[in-house]
Amino acid sequence: MRRLLAPNLRTRLTVFYSLLLVGALLLYAACVSVFFLHNLREEVDASIDRDLETVEGNLFIGSSGQIELNSHEGEADEDEPDRGYFLEVWDQEGSLLYRTGQLEGQALGQVPGSESARSHREAISSRLPSGMRVRMMTRPHHMPGGKSVFVRLAVSERPLWREFWEMVTVLGVGLPLIVIPIFVTGYFVASKALSPVDAMARRAAHITAEQLHERLEIRNPDDELGQLGTAFNATLARLENSFEQLRRFTADASHELRTPLTAIRSVGEVSLQKGGDNTYYRDIIGSMLEETNRLTRLVDSLLTMSRADAGRITLQMTAVSLLDLATEAASLLEVLAEEKEQTLHVEGTGLTLVNADRTILRQALVNLIDNAVKFSPMKGDIQIRVFEEGTEVVLEVRDSGPGISPEHQRKIFERFYRIDKARTRSEGGAGLGLSIAQWAVSVHRGTIEVKSEPGTGSIFRIRLPRLAATKSAAPPSSI
Amino acid sequence: MKILVVEDEPKVAGALKEGLESEGYEVTLAATGEEGFFHASSQAFDLVILDIMLPGRDGIEVLQTLRRQGARLPVLLLTAKDAVEDRVLGLDAGADDYLVKPFAFVELSARIRALLRRNKVDSDSALRVGDLEIDPVRRTVTRDGHRIEITAREFELLEYLARNHNRVVSREMLARDVWKETTRATPLDNVIDVHVARLRRKIDDPFTSKILHTVRGVGFTLSEGEL
Repeated sequence: MRRLLAPNLRTRLTVFYSLLLVGALLLYAACVSVFFLHNLREEVDASIDRDLETVEGNLFIGSSGQIELNSHEGEADEDEPDRGYFLEVWDQEGSLLYRTGQLEGQALGQVPGSESARSHREAISSRLPSGMRVRMMTRPHHMPGGKSVFVRLAVSERPLWREFWEMVTVLGVGLPLIVIPIFVTGYFVASKALSPVDAMARRAAHITAEQLHERLEIRNPDDELGQLGTAFNATLARLENSFEQLRRFTADASHELRTPLTAIRSVGEVSLQKGGDNTYYRDIIGSMLEETNRLTRLVDSLLTMSRADAGRITLQMTAVSLLDLATEAASLLEVLAEEKEQTLHVEGTGLTLVNADRTILRQALVNLIDNAVKFSPMKGDIQIRVFEEGTEVVLEVRDSGPGISPEHQRKIFERFYRIDKARTRSEGGAGLGLSIAQWAVSVHRGTIEVKSEPGTGSIFRIRLPRLAATKSAAPPSSI
Repeated sequence: MKILVVEDEPKVAGALKEGLESEGYEVTLAATGEEGFFHASSQAFDLVILDIMLPGRDGIEVLQTLRRQGARLPVLLLTAKDAVEDRVLGLDAGADDYLVKPFAFVELSARIRALLRRNKVDSDSALRVGDLEIDPVRRTVTRDGHRIEITAREFELLEYLARNHNRVVSREMLARDVWKETTRATPLDNVIDVHVARLRRKIDDPFTSKILHTVRGVGFTLSEGEL
């Protein structure tokens, strides 16, 4: 229905305001008309009053005892019934003493006296049997001879109504004359005001995934359309950013997949060309399978990430002691540290709980500790601490590795980012560990940060909102 | 033992057939859902290996139809999708087990054995591989009469290898069954390698005949003979 009435916003707005205007003008016209009619009637009443005075002065009792008039001037005549007045004179007993001839026997009203005394002084409107509308007034009058009579005088209301309807016609014709130009002007003003919307829509329609760098032109950033445009541009910026990330991710992932594929291909080709005994081929196939395993692991990580990006991982939240989780992760990787004769210490308070998905959070801890072991030298030292800070629980992994320079620090959480590409790839990493850790922490509404100076090792800190402290005391554990 | 393999990728199907036949199974191949359904409803099989993504009727549909007809044979689903909801979908449809591609053949063969309840071993009886003896109750290990001290984790590892002796065990199987790791993304390969190396130091290094072998690119095996 609304669509039918107004197909677009500018029409809808203009129609709405025009209807409001018409309503207001109609109300105004009605008030003016009523007031005008009232005034006209008062004028008529005043003239009736004057005429009554004159008529009363002209009344006398004739020789035959009949009421007579000195002058008939002013009485309505045949030619112009609307101009003059009609007169009736009644006596106290209700017998008609005089009636204007022009009335042709029609009574102006009931017998006077049956009405209340008050109404005698007031003018009333009525309709004669002939259909003529009249205004009349009835007044008691004392004749010079002492006789009391009622004098009733009426005039036609036709001139009054004619004037009234003329007035109404003027108003009725004037209304569209006012409203139509306003409607047209309003429509154009609205079109002009909304024209940026058209421009924005056209522009937006042309923006595709390939041209996300384009922005809408904003004429006035402070008005409503400007705000809309600004918000739209901000959305575009975010979209462009995530598209860019996606593009980079795809490119990086392809590169990462290329490395094991190249290995498989060249190992296979070379061995076929060269040929060899059974042991040789077993070795070659084994080498190819190793690369296949690397591919499998990489694809698993990529799937985890894409599922995380899509928000398709549902968390199984429970109250988890961060220290217990750290101890568990550390004991899992303990052998790796032992092989490098490193010390791996876990300490802190086991009372603090966080609300977490155990598996996912553990993944983050395992990745951090794995890195710490990987980058700390032989006989190095790795410290894991869990402590409270305000409303947060902090888990800190401190290694004794080579440290990370500031320009790398900003990027190490990015996917596939490796400081020393050759080194870590040989150890089986694809540069996803820290970004998986970062994702795992962020879904727990936590943060992860790194503090490091080249030469002094690195400190990774995970901050998570603290859940609550349990009552049972657990001794600080270390392994 | 007859196994029906429903798999549309010819290379995978061929490898499965060859591998399973080398383990003594009789294998029938089907390349589409319809064909698989036809075989499954016209012949008696001991087990079905069913790929989910098939041309025409997919594996889930075939499985549901089979189950509706009252087929009770064990079904192992193969799929490239490993989201939790995909697993649930498969298991709800009546699958007995679920293996995500790419999988290690040794793992598939272990799952098949489990489903067929073959090699059901008495978990309390002593295990013996050559001159190596493992007592699961007292948790002791002896080789050639010498008592060998090993850690709890090493014992679990050795016990698992012994129960699957003469067969190759992949790192993924170890991560899942010995380390009880639920996600494949956890980097446990290095950890497993270190434990195996330590175990080898204890049970192999002092002796002339080696029984714990690494099969490059596949995993490990506990076996008397040389590979």
